[in-house]
Amino acid sequence: MGLKQYLLKRLVHSVFVMFFVVTVVFFAVRAVPGDPARLMLGGDADPAALEALRQELGLNQPLYVQYFQWLRRLLTGNFGESIRTGEPVLGSLAQVAGPTLSIAGLGMVIALVIAIPTGILSSVKRYEIEDYLSTTVAFFGISMPAFWIGIVLILVIGVNVDAVPTFGYTPIDEGVSPWFRSIILPAFAVGFPYGGILMRMMRSSMLEVLNEDYMRTARAKGLNSNLVLFKHGLQNALIPVVTLAGIFLAVVLGGVVAVEIVFGIRGLGRLLIGSINRRDFPLIQGTVLIISFVFVLANIVVDLLYTMINPRIKYGGGE
Amino acid sequence: MNEPLLDVRGLTTSFETGQGRLTAVDDVSFSIEEGEVFGVVGESGSGKSVTALSVMRLLDDAGTVEADEVWFDGTDLLSLSEAEMRSIRGGEISMIFQDPMTSLNPVMTIGEQIAEVVRHHGDTGERTGFWSEMRRKYVTGTSTESRSWRRAIELLETVGIPEPEQRATEYPHQLSGGMRQRVVIAQALAGDPSLIIADEPTTALDVSIEAQILNEILELSEEFGISVMLITHDLGVVRETCDRVAVMYASEFMETGHVDDLFEDPHHPYTEGLLASIPRIDDDREWLSVIEGTVPDLIDKPSGCPFQDRCDYAFELCDRPLVEYELDSTKRVRHAVRCHRENERVRVDESGHVTDVPDEAVAALERRIEAENDASNDPAVADSGIRTDGGSPTGGSDEPERRGDRDEY
Repeated sequence: MGLKQYLLKRLVHSVFVMFFVVTVVFFAVRAVPGDPARLMLGGDADPAALEALRQELGLNQPLYVQYFQWLRRLLTGNFGESIRTGEPVLGSLAQVAGPTLSIAGLGMVIALVIAIPTGILSSVKRYEIEDYLSTTVAFFGISMPAFWIGIVLILVIGVNVDAVPTFGYTPIDEGVSPWFRSIILPAFAVGFPYGGILMRMMRSSMLEVLNEDYMRTARAKGLNSNLVLFKHGLQNALIPVVTLAGIFLAVVLGGVVAVEIVFGIRGLGRLLIGSINRRDFPLIQGTVLIISFVFVLANIVVDLLYTMINPRIKYGGGE
Repeated sequence: MNEPLLDVRGLTTSFETGQGRLTAVDDVSFSIEEGEVFGVVGESGSGKSVTALSVMRLLDDAGTVEADEVWFDGTDLLSLSEAEMRSIRGGEISMIFQDPMTSLNPVMTIGEQIAEVVRHHGDTGERTGFWSEMRRKYVTGTSTESRSWRRAIELLETVGIPEPEQRATEYPHQLSGGMRQRVVIAQALAGDPSLIIADEPTTALDVSIEAQILNEILELSEEFGISVMLITHDLGVVRETCDRVAVMYASEFMETGHVDDLFEDPHHPYTEGLLASIPRIDDDREWLSVIEGTVPDLIDKPSGCPFQDRCDYAFELCDRPLVEYELDSTKRVRHAVRCHRENERVRVDESGHVTDVPDEAVAALERRIEAENDASNDPAVADSGIRTDGGSPTGGSDEPERRGDRDEY
C-alpha cells in the first residue's frame, strides 16, 4: 500500500472518529442541566421572552431535528453561530487556535528535548545519582497538574524575570521573540508532565534495549559505547516511545485548557470552558471538534513516524 | 612449533549476586592453534559463553574477570586499553552468537550491519567518527557506492546469499533464520579476523539448516585460515567438526584433548556419562543412560570436584582442589583430565573404581596443590614449569621466553 492510499484511508477513519466524538458531545451537552436562554436572560426573565429566544435559537425543536440540522450545516463547512454573541463559530475558533497550537507545539518540543536525553542518561546510569535525580524530577512532573506548575512558574520566574510575561499572548506576527516569550512558561507547564511520562517511557524502553542481543553484537564488532548506544540502540528504544507519545498527547491538550486560564491567554481551552459555562452549544461542539481533529491528526503523524523508525511495520499492516 | 593463537591461563570469572558470589568460570586454561577448530562442550549454564565473553572482555560491570594470562597473537588482551580492545573485537576476534533472530539489529539494513564492521576494521578510507556514523545512520543512509558497502555485498555472496545487492538493502525480518545466520557469519568475516568464536551458532536454527550453517562456518574458516572456537552443547556437532575439544562442567574444564581421543577414550567420569547418554542407531536399550543428579550451585562454590556428588567413582580425594593430570604423553595432542582418579599413585580396578588411596598419593597431591598456589600467587615461579596443567599441546618449551617479554612491559 502506498503512502497516499494509507493517508487517505487514515483520513477517512478520522472522519468517523470525529463524527462519533461530536455526536457524543452534541447529546452530552444537552443532557447537562442548564438552559442557554435562561442563562442569557437571567433567572427572573419573562417566560414569554424566554420562549421567544428559544424559538429564535431553535432550541424548541426536537433533539434529533436539531442534531441533523447541525450535521447538515457542518457538512457544508458551517459550524453555526455562537448562541451568546451570534458570531460564526469558525471565526472564533480561528482567532484562538493560534495561542493554543503554539503552546501545545512548544510544550511537546520541550517535553521531547528534556525527556529523550534524560531518559537515555537515566537508563545508562541506572541506580546512580543521575538516574535517581531525573527519575525524581520525572515523577514530580507526572504527579503535578499542568496548571499548578503554571502557577509556580508565574510565582518563581514570571514575577522575577521581566523578559517573560505572566499574562497574555503575543501573536507571532508581532515578532518571534515576544511570541516566544509569551508562550514559554505555559508551554513549559504543559510540557513538563508530558515530558515526565515520556522520560519514564524512554528510560524503561532503553533499559530493555540495552539488554538486547544486538547490542552485545554491536559491542562485539568493536564499536565504541556511544556508537553502540546511539547508532544501534536509540532508534529501537524510540519505537515504543513514539507510540505512547501519540496516545499521551491528550495530556498536553488537556493541560493547555487549564494552563490558558492560569496565564490569561484567550485560547481554545478558555473558549471551551467559557462556552460550557454559558451552555453555548454550537461553540462547545465546534471547539471539541477542532480539538479532536488536532488529536487525530497528530496521531496520524505519529503513526507515519512509527513506520519510518520501525522497518518491521508497513502502512496498513502487511502486503 | 608455533605459539598458539590464543592462550588463556587461569581464567576465572565471577559475578556478584544477591545470594553470594557466583563463579561462572573457574580457573580455566586452554589454547587455540592457528587454523584449528576448538570445541567447548557442556550443558547450559556450565560457563561456556561466559568463557568466550570473558576473553572478549564483553561482560558488563557485574562480572569480574581474573586471569593469569590471556595471550592473543603475541598480545596480552588483559593489558590492552578499552580502545585497543575494540580494534581486536570484530577485527581480530569476531563472534557469532546463538540466535540470529535477536543478534541482528532489527532497524538496520543487513548491508550496513556488515559494512560498519568493514569500515571500522578495514582500510576503506571512510570516516568512522561518531557524527559521520550518526549521519550515515539517520540522515544519508549508507552509500551503495562506498567501498564498505561493496565489500558487504561481496561477503553476502561469499556466505551464499542469493541476490546480495538486493538483500543488502533489506532488514533482518525480511530474511529466514538460516539466511540471517549467514548474515551473521558474513558480519563475523567482515573484519578479516584470525579467530571466530561461534557461540552455539546453530542452536536456534532448524535442524535441517544446522549442517549447512556449520559447514559454511568451517569451510570459510578453512578457506581464510581462521581458527574457530566452537561453543556447543551438541556432542555430535563436536565430533564432526572439531580438532580438539574441552568438556566444561560447572564452570571448569574437566577434560581437554583431541576429539578422537576424547570420544574413543574418555577419562573423566562426566565425559563418559555424556557419551553414554547419546542415543545410537543400533541401540537396543530401553532407556537412555542419564547422569543422575543436578549441576551444583555455582554460588559460593566449594573447592573440590564439582561432579563428585553425581559421580559413580567418587572417592576420598574428590573434595580436594582439582588439579590437571596429563595423560599418555605419546599422544599427538595433549589430553588432560581434572580428576584425581588419574593420580598415578591411586589404584583403580578394571571397572574404573578406586580400590586404594595410598598415603603417598595424598602427599603428592598436597605438594602439587601447594606448588600451584605458589605459582598462581607469583607469576615468576610459574616459569619454573611446576605447573603441569596448561592448555597448550606444545608443552611449555617456549613459554619462559615469552613470559620474559611480558615482564618488561
